[in-house]
Amino acid sequence: MKKKNALKIRRRHSELSYHAMMLPGMIFLLIFSYIPMFGLWMAFQEYAPAKGILGSPWVGLMHFKYMSTLPDIGLLVRNTVVIALGKIVIGTVMAILFAILLNEVKNKLLKKSVQTIVYLPHFLSWVVLASVVVNFFNLDGSVNQMLGTLGMEKINFLGSNQLFQPLLIGTDVWKEFGYNSIVYLAAITAIDPGLHEAAAIDGASWRKRVWHITLPGMMPIILLMAAMNLSSILSAGFDQVYNLYSPMVYETGDILDTYVYRMGLISRQYSFGTAVGLLKSVIGMVLMVSSNGLAKKFTDRKIF
Amino acid sequence: MRNKNLWKKSIVLGMTLTMILFLAACGADNTKEPKDGKSSQSGDGAQTEENTDPYGAYEETVTCTLGRQTLQNPKIPEGDSYENNAYTDWVEKRFNVDLTNAFEANDGEDYERQVSLAIASEELPDMMIVGRATLEELVEDDLVEDLTSSYDNYATDYIKGIYDSYDGRCLDSATFDGKLMAIPSTNPDSAPSQIWIRQDWLDKLEIKLDEDGNAAITREELEMVAKAFLEKDPGESGNPVGISFTYDMNGSETLEMQAISASFGAFQKQWFQKEDGTVYNGSTTPEMKKTLEYMNQLFKDGILDPQFGTRTWDDITALMTNGQTGIIFGAWHIPDWLLSNVKSMDQNAAFTAFALEDDKGKVNVFHNNPAANYVVVRKGYEHPELAIKIVNLFHDERVTSKTLKDDAPEVYEYEQLGVDGSVRPLRIEVNSNVSLLNDYGAIVQCVNGDITIDEVPTLEAKNIVGCVQRYNEDPNTTDVIDWARYHSRMKGIQLIQDLTDYDSLVWVSPLYLGTTKTMKNKSANLDKLEAETFIKMIIGEESTDQFDSFVEQWNAQGGAAICEELAEKAQ
Repeated sequence: MKKKNALKIRRRHSELSYHAMMLPGMIFLLIFSYIPMFGLWMAFQEYAPAKGILGSPWVGLMHFKYMSTLPDIGLLVRNTVVIALGKIVIGTVMAILFAILLNEVKNKLLKKSVQTIVYLPHFLSWVVLASVVVNFFNLDGSVNQMLGTLGMEKINFLGSNQLFQPLLIGTDVWKEFGYNSIVYLAAITAIDPGLHEAAAIDGASWRKRVWHITLPGMMPIILLMAAMNLSSILSAGFDQVYNLYSPMVYETGDILDTYVYRMGLISRQYSFGTAVGLLKSVIGMVLMVSSNGLAKKFTDRKIF
Repeated sequence: MRNKNLWKKSIVLGMTLTMILFLAACGADNTKEPKDGKSSQSGDGAQTEENTDPYGAYEETVTCTLGRQTLQNPKIPEGDSYENNAYTDWVEKRFNVDLTNAFEANDGEDYERQVSLAIASEELPDMMIVGRATLEELVEDDLVEDLTSSYDNYATDYIKGIYDSYDGRCLDSATFDGKLMAIPSTNPDSAPSQIWIRQDWLDKLEIKLDEDGNAAITREELEMVAKAFLEKDPGESGNPVGISFTYDMNGSETLEMQAISASFGAFQKQWFQKEDGTVYNGSTTPEMKKTLEYMNQLFKDGILDPQFGTRTWDDITALMTNGQTGIIFGAWHIPDWLLSNVKSMDQNAAFTAFALEDDKGKVNVFHNNPAANYVVVRKGYEHPELAIKIVNLFHDERVTSKTLKDDAPEVYEYEQLGVDGSVRPLRIEVNSNVSLLNDYGAIVQCVNGDITIDEVPTLEAKNIVGCVQRYNEDPNTTDVIDWARYHSRMKGIQLIQDLTDYDSLVWVSPLYLGTTKTMKNKSANLDKLEAETFIKMIIGEESTDQFDSFVEQWNAQGGAAICEELAEKAQ
């Protein structure tokens, strides 16, 4: 009895120290994520900083109604969803493919160095990368010089409404697929190698094994990531778009975030900005919860 | 036992961290409260009793925080910064104050964002520069100090005389309900937007411009020069570009198409009142349509930069310093801060300024808004008169003192070096409405030997006389400042003088009435519509035949409502 109790106490003690380590993080979460939620009140007010949250007049759903009458709202939502979906779908597929291929590399040194190289762009900010992208893709850039030597006509990628979205999606996928593949690599290593060996003995080719063992084994993680990503479907990457767009490509490049930035912060319409932000979060949450439901229904796996 | 100690320690550590966090958060709030309370009491009574010396120093050191507008490549001596330089030292020593920067941000959107954040977080710096719309908002929300008595008691006669030269138009724009709520930066008329063309390239290609000698060129001449520069590539860059504009489409005079639209009688983004009282915007006129048709033609002919629509300011600066373009649109003062980059890269660079004339040989210009920016003082700041004192120091004493060299040698040196005016604590200009041509007249007289250097009115003008004389002695000088001052005055202002003498200028007066309610809500949208449509029409992605439907859309999206509000305000 005594021994058991002592064990219990010791375990609780060791757990408590972990909890204590979590405490600063929890406090940060509280201060920076939960307390600011009270600011959502602003979405239903005509907020003026001088009057404060308590003193500003209540306007109900006015900002939401105004949003629906905006002439560009359809365009903005369409651009945002197209760009975000493109990034999510292509980004996920690329990351999974890369993880599977990298897993086959047997040379450790090669594997590690390739991994490090593809992670690198993730740690550069778009402010820096944007100038790199511009230098590559403007009319005098290296891409156009290549096209020129091939005898093709020069293309103004950054000013073309047909090519701007692919450019955004492509450069974002390039920047992030390496980093995103970490999770998938981890998921692959968690698959029992016995399954592969058994399949190999039964004569399954590499392709068959990937299709019937690796991918199903990764499925829970893929679903989890997809559902999490879906919640950000209305965030198409402010810093990337902001640093690359111009009025010429507003038609395909202007997204909710850049629009709210121009309206909310530069023209100082705080309440309107908050209202759009709130709507974005609500839609994101609905999508996440429903994708969780769908995942449960079709694959019998649930995320939370 | 060890374990027990460990987790005890971790908990203590965690709790200490929490405490520190909360204390830090609370501390910031606590210090703020009593300060505000005290200041509102001392504000009124004390200042009238004290002496009203326009240059009086404080007995105890006064602190003052500033919101600073910076430039991307300002000319500042090495080791000096926006926060610590000869100008800030001068203020600190002279008045016994301690200046610190609450924030620094590049002029334009970056600075606007900082101001927005400062307002939203209710942490205004003691003094900062704001635009008209922000000023109105700050006054409405009662966030800025009334400066009426500070101005009356502390401003020097010289400063008051300058503001009076605008017949009250300038101070009026900062006056709300009879109270002066800000110090306006003056903005003398400086139009038209000029076209600066590389004279060394013209000479090389043996092109003669403006043969009728009226200082203005026609659109055909402009096209001819651009084509010649494109074909012959006098800058030997291998990749010449004709005329390049930024995508901003703000209707600004620099690196935008203002000179061209004015030659059609269009004034982008300016509000005008018709005789019947109705108000319209210059961007929606038939003249604007003609401008866009012409710009579209320039684009098709390859004279306009094929990358128009994505070019930023920095891109175009690179084009001119690389010798790719030699035709630059801008105000008379661009040699001082923009074209000087070209001279730094290419010793042979020289420019001549031209105006662009309309079909009748006239040059269309509009009167500037007499007040461009405003200095505001935070509500509750103990020493609002400090703002006036700083203005006195920089726009009276610095300009008019004959003994500055001995009194403040560092400041005098700054003037000689041509250090950027933006490093002064308050980035405003206070010049009389006729100062531009008056000062210029004195400079010319002095250079010609008709008057002595002591008779030249301001320190700045005196310095320029020196620059011009040095440049005249050796036009191949490597001194960029001499080169720049010579160009901005002897070419830039000379052009305005010539146009005035030939009676070529046709003036129009836009309405300057600040912002209206609809403008506040809808202008971001209207700006987007306008910039997008104009760029598309110019590059031919949308036909200029669609202009009428643009105007309809513009009116429907709030433009018409703004016109009505302005017409009401104008009555």
